[in-house]
Amino acid sequence: MKLPAPPTEKSFRSPLHHPRVATVIGRWLATAVVICFLTGLYSHFQQHTPGWLHIPSRPAELYRVTQGLHVLSGTIAVPLLVAKLWTVYPKLFAKLPWPPSRKALENVLERGSILVLVAAMALELFIGFLNTLQWYPWPFPFKETHYALAWIIVGALFVHLAVKLPLIRANWRRTSADRTAPAESLPPAITGLTRRGLFRTVAGAATLVGITSVGQSAPALGPIAVLAPRKPNVGPQGLPVNRTAEAAGVTAIDADWRFTVKGPQQLSYTLDDLRTLPQNRSDLPIACVEGWSQGARWEGIRIRDLLQLCGARADSRVRVVSMEKGGFYATSELPPEFAHDPLTLLALRLNGTELALDHGFPARIIAPNRPGVLQTKWVHRLEVIT
Amino acid sequence: MKARLALGAVGVGLGLWGLWLLVDAVQVPALIRLPIWLGGAVFADDAFLVPLTVGIGWLVTRWSIGPDHHRTVGAVRTTLLYVGITTLIAIPLLLRQGKGVNPTVLPRDYLRDWLLLEATIIAAGVVVYVVQRSRFTFKRSRASSGDIGGR
Ligand code: HEM
Repeated sequence: MKLPAPPTEKSFRSPLHHPRVATVIGRWLATAVVICFLTGLYSHFQQHTPGWLHIPSRPAELYRVTQGLHVLSGTIAVPLLVAKLWTVYPKLFAKLPWPPSRKALENVLERGSILVLVAAMALELFIGFLNTLQWYPWPFPFKETHYALAWIIVGALFVHLAVKLPLIRANWRRTSADRTAPAESLPPAITGLTRRGLFRTVAGAATLVGITSVGQSAPALGPIAVLAPRKPNVGPQGLPVNRTAEAAGVTAIDADWRFTVKGPQQLSYTLDDLRTLPQNRSDLPIACVEGWSQGARWEGIRIRDLLQLCGARADSRVRVVSMEKGGFYATSELPPEFAHDPLTLLALRLNGTELALDHGFPARIIAPNRPGVLQTKWVHRLEVIT
Repeated sequence: MKARLALGAVGVGLGLWGLWLLVDAVQVPALIRLPIWLGGAVFADDAFLVPLTVGIGWLVTRWSIGPDHHRTVGAVRTTLLYVGITTLIAIPLLLRQGKGVNPTVLPRDYLRDWLLLEATIIAAGVVVYVVQRSRFTFKRSRASSGDIGGR
């Protein structure tokens, strides 16, 4: 028995495997990737702020928007990546150039950069999405890998653009390359496949995926967010939880529980004392690194009032210490802009009732324009730095 | 040419920076298994996902040669594609539902929602299909009665 010949570049006869189509879809995919990269960098710098960078505390909803956009454009990139790989699939079967020449070398470099790009991007989308369901089936750390891959993707994208620049330029100039469909292919009148039709279908797929998942960040669309791992109003007090009290090893508090502030003067309060301090209200979202977010009404004491009470300077930096034992999120820092912002609270109440244990009872930080992981829960000490 | 070289050099620089970040932050045992996952991601796409789309596309195109099929092939193809892509994204949700410790992650009934979503997509596809078909038959009957120029 004779096996059928393996496919070659010419086996794929649809006129839609055309560089022009690849360029257009590539432009869309690159847009999604660039949005992911920039919003991802913003999220990274929120959590690892270099000394030279000052992140403002306003607009209060900024992080909610950027991280929601990150996960949204990342999810939309899934159909775009599939479409892009589909259009260029025949190239996978192109013969390697032989004998060695300058052209051959270029070709090998080009394919190498594409291999890096596809591998890094496919894995990035995969681990990014699974992370939003808190599922980590791989042996490497998510955050560090996701961050490093992001730079590799952008680097490979630059190389890819360098290689393809002539083609891209040709596309902008709209040459007659447009009409050179392979002769044997069936006419669109029969297959119903036109470029415009393909673009419309791919755009439709991206929109469909977007609409059925953006509801985790835009609560109005929550009911139809059937492909989103979160529903913004599900959870104690109408708010989802990322780290539960159980996971953090925190149980209810003792009668001798004290909240302390370590500054020029030392302050110590019981929970009842805290409740008698001047209370303020902030309407601020919890905006998780995992893309979901939900607005809420918080009541508690302004951090800047506490700073004043202990005699600290208004531009102080504050370390927040949780009762959570160990782990990256057991402490956080409020840079001066955030500590001083009148919206930043040591919150005691959420949506009209006392904080639930999973939301950080007895006291937690809530500040504008910050990822949820820095809104430290179960706070029992503030330390004024400088 | 200068622009290409500059772009390429910047790209290589950024890529090496990413590689350094990886080597710096990820422990060796995990690092050596990372290429397997990268390779796996390529394999899943190039040996499964894309061939599957190419294969189904081929079948649909063959089917479209049949009498009148070219009128409705768009609806068929689009419906299949939308069902496929939404299912691809739903798979992890379906696999993971009820497995985590945190009840606010994956709080929906994803099986029901997925079935509803696919049913909606298919229903919409059927509506478009029927509309396109009836338009065609309508045109043809008018054309054959000499009403208009026909086609
Ligand atoms: C090409 C696509 C992508 C790029 C370039 C990218 C880039 C980044 C970067 C630079 C960060 C910051 C990492 C850090 O804090 O150190 C980040 C974080 C994150 N990304 Fe992506 N990303 C992409 C796709 C995705 C996708 C598809 C999803 C999910 C659907 C996703 C989900 C996340 C999440 C949840 C975080 C927060 C991680 C954390 O701080 O714990 N990303 N991304």
